Amino acid sequence: MAKLSDLLTAEDLVQLTGLPLFARTVMEGFSTGLHASPHKGSSVEFRQHRPYVQGDEIKRLDWKIFGRSDRFYIREFDEETNLRATILLDSSGSMAYRGTKGTIKYEHARKLAAALAYVLTGQQDAVGLVTFDDKLRDFIPCRTKTSHLHHILDTLQRSQPGGETSLATVLKNLASRLKRRGLLMLISDCFDDAERLLQAVGVLRKQGHEIIVFQLWDRDELDFPFSRWARFENMEKTDDALLLDPAAIRQRYLQVLKTFREDLVEGLRRHHADLVPIITDEPLTEAVKAYLALRMRQ
Amino acid sequence: MSFLNPILLAGLAAFLIPLIIHLLNKRKVVTVRWGPMHLLHEALRQKKRNVKVEQKLLLAVRISIPILLALCLALPVLSALSQLPGFDKTSLLVLLDNSFSMRAPGTGGTPRDKARNDLRQTLAGLSRGSDASVILAGAPARRLLPQTTTDLESLPTRLENEPSLSGPLALQDAFQLAQAELPKMATAAREVLVVSDFKWSDWRHLSEGGTLPALEGLLKQEHPPLVTFLRAPSDTESNLAVVSVEPSAFVVARGQAIALRARIQNHGPRAYQDVAVHLEANGARMRSTRVSIAPNSESVLTLSHTLDTAGDQAVTVRVEGDSLPDDNAFSVIIPVREQVNCLLVRGKSRSGPLEGATDFLEIALTPHQSAATTLKDVIRTGVVEHQSIRDKSFEGSEVAILANVERLNDRQVQELEEFVQRGGGLVIFAGPDMDLRWYQEKLYNKGKGLLPCSFNGFGHVDEGQTPARILNQRHTHPAITYFNDARGMRLQDAAFTHWLKFDKIEGEARPILNLDRGDALMVEKPLGKGRVIAVASTANAQWSNLPLQPAFVPLMQRVVTYLATQNAAPQSQLCGSVLRASLGTQQAKSNYELKDPASQVKELTPRADRDGVIFVDYADTLVPGIYELKAKDSPGAEVRRFAFNLNPDESNLDPMPEEAIRTMAQRLGATYAASQDEYARLDRTRRHGAEAWQPLLFALIIFLFAEVFLQQRISRA
Repeated sequence: MAKLSDLLTAEDLVQLTGLPLFARTVMEGFSTGLHASPHKGSSVEFRQHRPYVQGDEIKRLDWKIFGRSDRFYIREFDEETNLRATILLDSSGSMAYRGTKGTIKYEHARKLAAALAYVLTGQQDAVGLVTFDDKLRDFIPCRTKTSHLHHILDTLQRSQPGGETSLATVLKNLASRLKRRGLLMLISDCFDDAERLLQAVGVLRKQGHEIIVFQLWDRDELDFPFSRWARFENMEKTDDALLLDPAAIRQRYLQVLKTFREDLVEGLRRHHADLVPIITDEPLTEAVKAYLALRMRQ
Repeated sequence: MSFLNPILLAGLAAFLIPLIIHLLNKRKVVTVRWGPMHLLHEALRQKKRNVKVEQKLLLAVRISIPILLALCLALPVLSALSQLPGFDKTSLLVLLDNSFSMRAPGTGGTPRDKARNDLRQTLAGLSRGSDASVILAGAPARRLLPQTTTDLESLPTRLENEPSLSGPLALQDAFQLAQAELPKMATAAREVLVVSDFKWSDWRHLSEGGTLPALEGLLKQEHPPLVTFLRAPSDTESNLAVVSVEPSAFVVARGQAIALRARIQNHGPRAYQDVAVHLEANGARMRSTRVSIAPNSESVLTLSHTLDTAGDQAVTVRVEGDSLPDDNAFSVIIPVREQVNCLLVRGKSRSGPLEGATDFLEIALTPHQSAATTLKDVIRTGVVEHQSIRDKSFEGSEVAILANVERLNDRQVQELEEFVQRGGGLVIFAGPDMDLRWYQEKLYNKGKGLLPCSFNGFGHVDEGQTPARILNQRHTHPAITYFNDARGMRLQDAAFTHWLKFDKIEGEARPILNLDRGDALMVEKPLGKGRVIAVASTANAQWSNLPLQPAFVPLMQRVVTYLATQNAAPQSQLCGSVLRASLGTQQAKSNYELKDPASQVKELTPRADRDGVIFVDYADTLVPGIYELKAKDSPGAEVRRFAFNLNPDESNLDPMPEEAIRTMAQRLGATYAASQDEYARLDRTRRHGAEAWQPLLFALIIFLFAEVFLQQRISRA
């Protein structure tokens, strides 16, 4: 059985312990916790009145208002529930990139996934894990038990990157499988068609999911530091290669990269989703902490 | 197109370097397994076409840079361009050393031949439309052609006829001619080429720090010409030369023996043993002797000969045995006369023997007659008291001598002046009876009279003091040069106790002899066609013991014969100087024939100068030897002879070391070329190189900027 220390160092664990994770929107949960539930029920915290529509339970009618105004209103209450967070780990071939400094993107992604799972489990939230390339590979539903964390870590330990990316397809499939609303944490380099990806994100958002995208970068992909002639081979397709002088194309590449990132940020903002860039040569926990601090301020 | 440094064209291969780097870069590709390929595709899609074109352009620029650099360094010459009218025209002014040392034989010919060939090549290398001029720099400097010419092929032909027999280089005169010539030349690209054998004797002055003002002036012009020294070398260093022949007398009587002192110089390290020396009279060999001369030394030998025919006789001393024969002979003209008449005018008579003012003079001028020997004196003297001078007293005399004459009357003075004006010679000895005031007023007459200078009292030596002596110095006056030779008699033995102090020696007057007390002893002044010599002492033993000295005889003989022959042909002249013969009124009626040393006859027509003197002249006297002048179509007419000799300074063939020439050239602002090849290289670089490599260099700079620009542009792509 995999242990947390296989993926995270003791220092990481010290820094991650006690980090609260807040969901910005109401979560559908099955136990009372820190997060507000979208289910309106018999909680003590009144939420609102709304007009009765056919199909509403009769027991939730507010008879006092009917007595005063001769109209039917339903009385709604907020209910605190725990968080259902699903970590979506992109395991496509592009995540296997080993940078010129020796770091492997997928290693970093696995650490991030482990760190998130550890933090969420620690605050009694339900955590699930999905690994995928152009299709779903592993699907671990959300649970709150501590033993469930080991199951997740096991799966992470076993998973290897490979295959093509088709984020949009995977997210649409996922939409049909996730019955209850929750927090989706996508760990991916997002090397897919941005438009289709955003469409899929839109679908998930309509289902009430909150989405955080941890976009993973190697420093090479951001700086394009190559100077000698190079043959660039696609990590996901065997028949795609380019022989070129990197120095000659660098400026244009950086321009295209900038546009790609800006489009993605803008599209996700439209869908009220967050994008957190993670760079493999930066400390993992620092990135997570910085993001959580941002969420708490919001 | 040709190249001045073709070896540097090998640098063209450097164009392979960027090409190889490019190919190696493409070959040594690294493989990168890459994730965001869609970003690379997008980047390439946007800039693919431009980048490829620019990369190829950059490669072409990088290949071109070493090619342009190699071409620049190889100094291309666009010869095709220079053929076009108006391109690459040059004005070349040649200062050619035509001193006779250029005739010295050597391996590969004489310097004269080499210089001529070098010039032929240089002129052939000039482009069409160029002009050239040649100044012959040997003394006297002159132009080869009266004006510059664009007919460059004619110059070498003209130089063929130039014998190169001139005297030492007259550089100052030659550069002055160059200064006058350069502004007349057609193009602004002017070049002065000095071609010489660079002998020490010609260049020592400049090599040892002397200046050449005419060259400095030339280089200070607004557009100074390029000046190059080109050497035409000779490997001959040994040379024998007869440097002078000095006759014992200016004039001899017919049948009188004359001694000829010949100096034969051995220039160079070779010793000459038993070299034959010949004495020739009017071209016929009279006698021969032999002489041995050590290296770098001189031999003096005396030959005597008796001339039996009156008139101007030519005597030549000739030496045999070396490879440069031009300076092996030296000729002089000896005037042979029946006699020279000298009138002695004495002052107050003394009764005792040898106390008369002219007694010593009579003995000195007619020693054989005085000694009652059978030998013949050339001078015949006549003695008169000064009161006895009448009209035409001087007729028939060539020289008159006044000795201690108190004063003359006006008529006598006029008679005397006319005598000197006609060409007579006058010697005035001082004496105690002289009326100094009269001499000052009438004979000096503020410089217009007969006396060469004024008086400023008497000089004397007190009792017990050392007597005054004749200053021991090198004499230059032809009447006195005889006493320069230490083996001759000593004038310095004469002791003077009294003398006249001469003053105001100015104008044409010049001292001939000086006393060691700072006063002049003899002063000479030309007057009309004649000359006057004033002597500060007496002609007898009253004031000095000079008349008692043996030297008094040759001194007076030489002074008198010098004055008697002053209008005769010079003993010898330097080649290149003008032959001029004065003619009497009767002689002017017919034309004259001049036979030169090569026996070629030229016809000369008498002319008259501004003073009405009739003369013939002839300037082409470069060939050394005897020139004979006689009236045309007159078989029995008198033959007048003229001797022309080469300047003995040119006989020393000791060459300057190359380094010394180079240093001198650098100091004078000129460039030195040791050979025609070196000069041609210099010339090509200066005339053509700049025009071809400058555009290439400009293109190279543009390409370097283009490379940087493209590199930046591609990296931004």
